[in-house]
Amino acid sequence: MSKLIYLGCLSSSQYLETCRNAEKLIKFLDNEYQVLDNVPCCGALAYHISSDEEMQNHTQFLNEWFKENDVRELITICAGCYNYLTHYYPKYLGSDFNVRVEHLLQFISRPENLKKLNLKYTGKKLNIYYHDACHLRNADVPIIEEAREILNSIEGPIELRELENNRINSLCCGAGGGVYSIFKENSDYNSLLIFKQARMAKALLTACPFCYTSLKRIREENKIKTPVIKIEDFIIRLMEGGDPISV
Amino acid sequence: MSEKGKELFEKVKQNIGRTQEKGTLEEQFAEIWKLACIMKSKNYDLRHKYDDSVKEFVEKYKDQLIEMRDDFLENIDYYVEKCIEMLKKNGFKVYYAKTNEEAHEIFMNELGDNKVIYKSKSNEARDIGILDFLSENNIQVKETDLGDVLVELFEYKLPSYQVGPGIHFAIEDIVAKIKEKYGVELEPNAKAIVEYYRDIYRKELLNDVKVSLTSANAISAEDGCIMLMENEGNISIITRATEKHIVLVGTTKIVPSVFDALLVTKMIERTNDSTVAYISLIYGPSGTADIGGVTVRGMYGAKDVVVILVDDWRTKAKESFYSDFLRCISCKTCSFVCTASRVFGNIYASKYGLGASAIIRDYIHNGIEAAVEDGLFLCTGCENCTNWCPVEVNIAEIMRSMKKEATEKGLCPPALKGYQQKILKDKNPFLKKS
Repeated sequence: MSKLIYLGCLSSSQYLETCRNAEKLIKFLDNEYQVLDNVPCCGALAYHISSDEEMQNHTQFLNEWFKENDVRELITICAGCYNYLTHYYPKYLGSDFNVRVEHLLQFISRPENLKKLNLKYTGKKLNIYYHDACHLRNADVPIIEEAREILNSIEGPIELRELENNRINSLCCGAGGGVYSIFKENSDYNSLLIFKQARMAKALLTACPFCYTSLKRIREENKIKTPVIKIEDFIIRLMEGGDPISV
Repeated sequence: MSEKGKELFEKVKQNIGRTQEKGTLEEQFAEIWKLACIMKSKNYDLRHKYDDSVKEFVEKYKDQLIEMRDDFLENIDYYVEKCIEMLKKNGFKVYYAKTNEEAHEIFMNELGDNKVIYKSKSNEARDIGILDFLSENNIQVKETDLGDVLVELFEYKLPSYQVGPGIHFAIEDIVAKIKEKYGVELEPNAKAIVEYYRDIYRKELLNDVKVSLTSANAISAEDGCIMLMENEGNISIITRATEKHIVLVGTTKIVPSVFDALLVTKMIERTNDSTVAYISLIYGPSGTADIGGVTVRGMYGAKDVVVILVDDWRTKAKESFYSDFLRCISCKTCSFVCTASRVFGNIYASKYGLGASAIIRDYIHNGIEAAVEDGLFLCTGCENCTNWCPVEVNIAEIMRSMKKEATEKGLCPPALKGYQQKILKDKNPFLKKS
């Protein structure tokens, strides 16, 4: 075993269908990738409040787990896992961290994978927006254009539009930094603001489960029509001929 | 969680409650501030009077600005010394104060028997703590920036936007307040209010000012001059029509050359999308050599210009986790692109102003408890502040370090601490106990 699909704690506990879709999608492109049980959390929610010693211990613990399971490459489906695994793990573990970390969007956007996917859409005209998650745009190797490359590769009457605040200037959903667990007012306002910028959209796409959680709640509470969809769900539905924006 | 942590958490929750309750001062401010933030961040990408957008302007000069700030910080002692030398050569009276307290003492000595000072908008004055000190010593501080005048009119004690401190007052409320306080009835429009203040203040500012207080947008070390930008003309008047002009600033306002000073000033203007009528470049007190070639200081403008350069926390900061903050040019961009500031307005703030930079200042002066009370844990870590900062101050990292310190001291909110414990012990924060 050397290739792991790292689902992340939030998705694997809350969004099982998304996890299944991500698995399906990744395995379609590379059958060597696998999902394992009881994968430890990367620790994203703890880093900004933990001491160097605690972080050192946690990164070491996960790294040992990677070694025990012979993980050499992994794909994260969570924006937070990607950000933290690529920043804090090399920082705290140095050369002892030997796992190649890739985010799902990076993996899909590789030209050979896009070619293999050959995404097509045949329904009615569809305007979609993609929201750049802080975790992806702020990462050491930022993931910004990948989502656009994937969505623009879809054949058919589908148009990717840009939110007013996009790429490095995107709005935060208000749920980051664990703030969601304490003060939801931040997400109440900021997620709504993102929806306001996506007013003309048929769907709002995200690659971050934290943004997804926040946007989904705000959508329900404010009875907003525009659905918010995880990008892997969107792609799988396209591949399977389903309605890509059904909720 | 410590008792203090619980107390601060409750305070922050109460503050948030006030931003959500219709009609409170906090709610009113937050509503206006939301609009201001949206406008400001929107304008960032647009072209108005200039051919380039703010964003393009920032990108064009960012490297130059960063290089200049890096050079300054690497050679801060050299530049402070050079600055003092050149200012003195140009006829300024210059003091170097190691602490804020020392600066207060120098200020009082320079004030002499004067009991009234006229002041322009100055965040440095807050940082240096001169306003509280003067009020304790029964010195009357008269604000001259209209925004600050309104803050005084309403006796508004909550933090406000440093660049436009009066933006949250409604025209109707201003008119009503003027009637209540001065018995003057004004038309409820901006022009009438401005004319009212122009009529009463202009005469006073032109005739009565003996001592004025300003900070500076930048001070050039190599040229020995200070730069001040404004829109209202109050700075121009009180720095000229005065006996003594006192410039009270932190040493981090120093830049190498006058061109750097202009770049900093211009950057502040562009990032704030503000209208600027005047940029003053002051090279010392006024003077003349018309009488027999003898130089006499004090012609029509100020007789004395005193610069008090304050170190206080700045040298110490070089060795601290917030050393990056020394690069700050006080443009305030970080506050209007901030996820938390946008929602929470003046409860995510300190007495030094709005947003993360004001919270960092509170931490520097008053410690971690003050920062937690200011709403440190409302920060989502989105890093917009860092991404937009024209001098690349890593504000997000400073905030993270502060959160760590707060957590070590038992001040972290309980739910967040709970997640951390689950991660560190169970290796999964969402693990359901079976």
